[in-house]
Amino acid sequence: MNKRRTLTLFVIFAVATIMSTLSFAKEDTRETALRSAEMSRFEAQVNADAKTLERLLDSNLEYVHSNGELDTKASFIESLVSGKRDYVASTANIQGVRILGDVAIIRGTAKVTVADNGQSRELDLGYTDIWVWKDKRWQMTAWRSARMLPTAAK
Amino acid sequence: MRTPLLVVLLFALPLAALASPRGDEASARAALQARFDAALRADVAALEKLLADDLEYCGVRATCSTKAQYLESVRNGTRKFRSLTPKVERVTMYADSAVLTGKVYSVSVVDGTERNVDAYFLVVLAWRDGRWQMTNQSSTLLEAKPST
Repeated sequence: MNKRRTLTLFVIFAVATIMSTLSFAKEDTRETALRSAEMSRFEAQVNADAKTLERLLDSNLEYVHSNGELDTKASFIESLVSGKRDYVASTANIQGVRILGDVAIIRGTAKVTVADNGQSRELDLGYTDIWVWKDKRWQMTAWRSARMLPTAAK
Repeated sequence: MRTPLLVVLLFALPLAALASPRGDEASARAALQARFDAALRADVAALEKLLADDLEYCGVRATCSTKAQYLESVRNGTRKFRSLTPKVERVTMYADSAVLTGKVYSVSVVDGTERNVDAYFLVVLAWRDGRWQMTNQSSTLLEAKPST
């Protein structure tokens, strides 16, 4: 009887350990996918790549630029494709990633070069964006950024 | 006799967790309002409960604070408000979290000088320990500047 009980407890422990390990592995995979999606998004914005952005941006996207302008998914993609908003280059530095189930929070900084009336300007931004896990992939649903003070910008 | 009980517990506990009541949209809105109210009153005890331990609070100057740093700024009066009026525009509910966006109109007091600060806010609430806790707030100034 004791042997049977010990064996049962061992099986339960083993199953719990395997499930826990699989869960951690799944989170690792999702975080890697999230970081990759974030970098692809920055690149797609510079390239005005509407097809990639269609896939990476959530249909409910709320994109608030550092100057207080608000874009939806449609207006944001349109502004890039039309050239109204022209990102010449961007370098992002992810400072923190947290995954809360099907929601992820990324916090970071970005150095963005924008073309404005034939001249380029550099912006140093602190940003937070929110991604949701939908249709088996990460999609960005919200973006907020703010200008970094000159001393904080690196 | 104990073995079947252990097996039942192994499967029943996760199910019980799933069945436990989660916060709904109304409670998420109420939690956010309570958070703004507590900030206005500089009520550190209330904020202690309403803010998650892993809070990231990113203000309109792109600087971020932890929960401890934020509470200290409330306690020592660095962060002080004369008025704080939020207008929630969108609430999206997820399994264990809620994302709320909108605008907040505030009058803050810095070194005795009043300053109007109107901003877009983005808040993430996490459902933990049977209540909503704010785990991120990030803001952007409403004022339009001639840049992107």
